Amino acid sequence: MVKVGIPRALLYYQYYAAWKTFFEELGAETIVSEPTNQAIFACGNERAVAETCLPVKIFFGHVISLVDKCDYMFIPAVRSMGDKAYNCSKFLGLPDMTKALVPECPHILDPDIDLNKGRRDLLQVLHNSVGRQFASDKGRVKKAIESAWEANSTYRNRTGEEKITYVEAIEGIQQRHRQLDSDAHQELKIAVIGHPYVVYDDFVNHRLISRLEAMKATILTPEKAFPEKLDICMARLIGKAHWSFEAEIVGAGEYYLEAGVDGIISVAVFGCGPDSMMIEVVRHAARDFGTPFLQLSLDEHTSEGGMLTRLEAFTDMVRRKKICV
Amino acid sequence: MRIGIPHFGNIYIPVRGMASKLGASSEELIIPPPSSQRTLDLGVKYSPIEACLPYKLTLGNLIEACELGADTLVQARGTGICRLGYYARNQEQILQDLGYGARFLTVDVSHRKFASILYIIKALSHGASWPQIILAFWFGMGKLFALDKIEKEVHKVRAVEIEKGTANSIYREAIRTMDEARTRREVKSLNREYIDRLKRVPRDPQADPLKVALVGEIYVVIDPFSNMDIEMELGKLGVEVERTLTLSRWVKYSLFLNPLGIDEWKEVHKAALPYLKRDVGGDGWESVGEKVVHARDGCDGLIHLAPFTCMPETVAQNIMRSTKEDLPVLVVLCDEQMAKPGMITRLEAFVDLLQFRRKKRRGKGNSKVFF
Repeated sequence: MVKVGIPRALLYYQYYAAWKTFFEELGAETIVSEPTNQAIFACGNERAVAETCLPVKIFFGHVISLVDKCDYMFIPAVRSMGDKAYNCSKFLGLPDMTKALVPECPHILDPDIDLNKGRRDLLQVLHNSVGRQFASDKGRVKKAIESAWEANSTYRNRTGEEKITYVEAIEGIQQRHRQLDSDAHQELKIAVIGHPYVVYDDFVNHRLISRLEAMKATILTPEKAFPEKLDICMARLIGKAHWSFEAEIVGAGEYYLEAGVDGIISVAVFGCGPDSMMIEVVRHAARDFGTPFLQLSLDEHTSEGGMLTRLEAFTDMVRRKKICV
Repeated sequence: MRIGIPHFGNIYIPVRGMASKLGASSEELIIPPPSSQRTLDLGVKYSPIEACLPYKLTLGNLIEACELGADTLVQARGTGICRLGYYARNQEQILQDLGYGARFLTVDVSHRKFASILYIIKALSHGASWPQIILAFWFGMGKLFALDKIEKEVHKVRAVEIEKGTANSIYREAIRTMDEARTRREVKSLNREYIDRLKRVPRDPQADPLKVALVGEIYVVIDPFSNMDIEMELGKLGVEVERTLTLSRWVKYSLFLNPLGIDEWKEVHKAALPYLKRDVGGDGWESVGEKVVHARDGCDGLIHLAPFTCMPETVAQNIMRSTKEDLPVLVVLCDEQMAKPGMITRLEAFVDLLQFRRKKRRGKGNSKVFF
């Protein structure tokens, strides 16, 4: 069976369900890289220009770790997921940057995804740059796209309905069932706002989620809310989206503020262009609500100890505020 | 209405020209003081910490315009892939928090560019008719085109003039008189006069200046304050600067020729194709293409200017390093931490390297030299 490599980085968390279904329909097997570790990071870091943001450096590391294990590498250039809102340049440059920095990479499948151009364009693009390698028949590609679309909405609805994270949902797909968290009644409700590739990459964020859970906090992440609700909240706060994942950051911020969480933690990586603008909007909204807000800016030099101290100080502060009010 | 604009190279000159043509007084069009350390400090103080330099500088300009009493501000807007489209949203909020209740008029830089610019000029005029507005726009653009032509000549003269600084003083004078010009005819004759004067500047007959191309993100390439007058410094080192990005070129193509299907970057994009297949927003695609083009047309080196954390230029940087065209590239990242002596040292080292490389190449004929 033909093997397609999928780096466990960046858009993997949001779209793995769709990608897996898509390639399975086309009769290919997907190989996902290991969770990020020091070796993966070091490989990526050594090739990319220093100024590149951490998740992208890590992405290259994942690609390198997959080089010998697959026949194709799937790196879509995701321009837009619709609504005339666009992605950061680095997502568009990913396939070409990979080609430049990882010359030993197997053939890169790099469809240019822009949902503003309509379904027919999507079919054409996916057929030309991906489907053709596996099936000559356009109908099969079309069917694969439809199943992938279906899988994606099921996946996204599931995270909203069952209030689970992307990672839990992905594991559920693999294991078919998932054990529900029993002690859901934790003391503090804290919303963690950030891109899934920052929130769920334990190497980048030094196990932020489990640390917070250990501090007796219930963690609310953007995908635990329904996308429509996030869209409405975003529209209320700032209007139309400028970035593709604006609803997941700004929308989620506003949604959880309205829901009355005890605190908001924003996790972004240093040098993230979209976040440098969007987090400001959330920060402003949190100030208007009077909700405590912690802004974590992570990079490869972030020390675990320093972050832990900040988290402890923040949860202590939130807890004290809750008692006083 | 008192309209304030941010600085961007010489853009204030055509804008002032248009306003005066339409009878707006200096009270109604507020040009903030030229970007200075204070502007930057203000911008840095009130911007999100990780915003890019153009964001911080334009915010500083707008704050200074508000201090002078502006109640309406002009800023760019768009649905692009770069942060620029977000500037107005964010800055409006920041200015409101500072207590300036200024309204924003936005220039759409991705769609309906011309229309949004005309509407702003319309707002500035006292109910002038559309033909009058178009005429005023034409007059302003005349100044912009003339200044860019003069600047292009200045780049050449700076590198070879015998008495260093002559071209600069002529250029400064040109900016001043061009700003004061009242009619289109005056603009034209000034243009001729200054080009003539620059051509007559005594030049070193033995000079064989190095040619360095300047590429990168349009704001930091064009705005001398943000790149610490890099072109002037290169001129002092006897280097001829080649720069494709100019404001007049942007106006000419984006507003008029692109809608007709003429793409000024066609060649450059084609050159970039083997390395970067698609537009990545901002000027990233163009930067990669320009490296290839300039390597072919015999430039000695390339300076890549980008604001720190600029996304499209980071993509370009990652790709540019591995093109097979062999052209030395110096990356200069612009932000508020940049210091001029550091930059000059880097420029000197770069120019030394280029000179050495050229000497070696000429000495050895066509044999390849590795560094």
